[in-house]
Amino acid sequence: MAAVYTAPVQALIDELGRLPGIGLKSAQRIAFHLLKLPAADVHRLSAAINDAKARVRFCQRCFNVADGEWCPICLDERRDTRVLCVVEESRDIVALERTGEFRGRYHVLLGAMSPLEGIGPEDLKMKELFARLEPEGVTEVILCTNPNTEGEVTALYIARMLRPFGIRVTRIASGLPVGGDLEYADELTLGRALEGRREFATDPAAP
Amino acid sequence: MRRPLYRDRGVVLRTYRLGEADRIVVVLTEQRGKVRAVANGVRKTGSRFGARLEPGSHVQVLMAEGRGLDTISQVEVIDSVAHLVDDLDHLTSALAMLEAADQLTLEGEPNAPLYRMLVGALRTVSQRGGPLVVPAFFWKVLAAEGIRPELDVCVRCGADAPLVAFDMDHGGALCRACRSGAPLGADALGLMRDILDGRLNQALAAPASAATHEVAGHAARAMEHHIERRLRTVAMFERL
Repeated sequence: MAAVYTAPVQALIDELGRLPGIGLKSAQRIAFHLLKLPAADVHRLSAAINDAKARVRFCQRCFNVADGEWCPICLDERRDTRVLCVVEESRDIVALERTGEFRGRYHVLLGAMSPLEGIGPEDLKMKELFARLEPEGVTEVILCTNPNTEGEVTALYIARMLRPFGIRVTRIASGLPVGGDLEYADELTLGRALEGRREFATDPAAP
Repeated sequence: MRRPLYRDRGVVLRTYRLGEADRIVVVLTEQRGKVRAVANGVRKTGSRFGARLEPGSHVQVLMAEGRGLDTISQVEVIDSVAHLVDDLDHLTSALAMLEAADQLTLEGEPNAPLYRMLVGALRTVSQRGGPLVVPAFFWKVLAAEGIRPELDVCVRCGADAPLVAFDMDHGGALCRACRSGAPLGADALGLMRDILDGRLNQALAAPASAATHEVAGHAARAMEHHIERRLRTVAMFERL
């Protein structure tokens, strides 16, 4: 097919079209939107991309994204060093931080084990995880991998590897999303929600 | 145009991420063989599919035919993955069988016997597990495909002598004079005969031992020999 657009525009469309979830039509729309914007806005965008690419790297300790050697969470001295939360991606840290429920540190595996795709423990930051436990005095590891097959394999594998350490290993609970209907819940989720039910204190004064 | 809907039973073999929140689900169905279908929104926490489309799940599905991929419309669980995902050994056994089943089938070619064997084997894993479920599944499937190893006499010379080696290139066990391939212990040979000669339950009850390990090795090699590629799940968990 002959290129319809002039070369710089076509190059821009081609680059945009390589981004995840952006097809040819979306790429065209974004390209023409960018061409219409004031030059300052476009420069801000390109500077943000360059800056992020140049400065962002992985935290040396937990493999979260960081702009220095360590990420802000590892640098924060008020964090509880005894509890370590293991997640698949940096994005999961943001989701967990938004809950405000966790004050410990994290460890990012940079993926999950996927036997069917040939992604094994050696492709993830597993060795680094095991090496952290003793020096940091970790007493509990919370396995916060996704509740799907890959995440479960990863969590079960880590749990087995941690057995000799004698550390408390917990798995994030699965249950019903707040705002959902029971009748639409699948059997596994509903079963786990029942299994992990909690005592409901009828008298608020009772312990 | 409304696309035709159809109903079938099947086992989810594997899934691929698609776009932001969708998945492509590969299902081994009873009537239509292997089907690839899109499950829209399945990765969102509020999805009504939830855990029903995880690998190993045995489901009743309502699907809409598409030009390329079908679309999953409704799912009901027949056998849930609950007891597969709560134990590392159960899960790795299940994944090994799913991988083999995926490799053995082509899209659009019905293979009801394989579907039934897979459902049975997954149930066995969920209910009691055991070291020989996966090897037994491999041998049974290979036998159904027409590849049944010779275990009674030497496959090369036909002698009724003690069999001491096993070589899939020749198609069975070999006597001392003809031996090639891997060594074969008497206990392992007995277990393989149990699996293939109708004493499956007896074999499945065998506790883990050097012999079950040996049978597992022969079964994995034979399966890999047949599908002409390595089984990733087996390679990853062999050393656990």
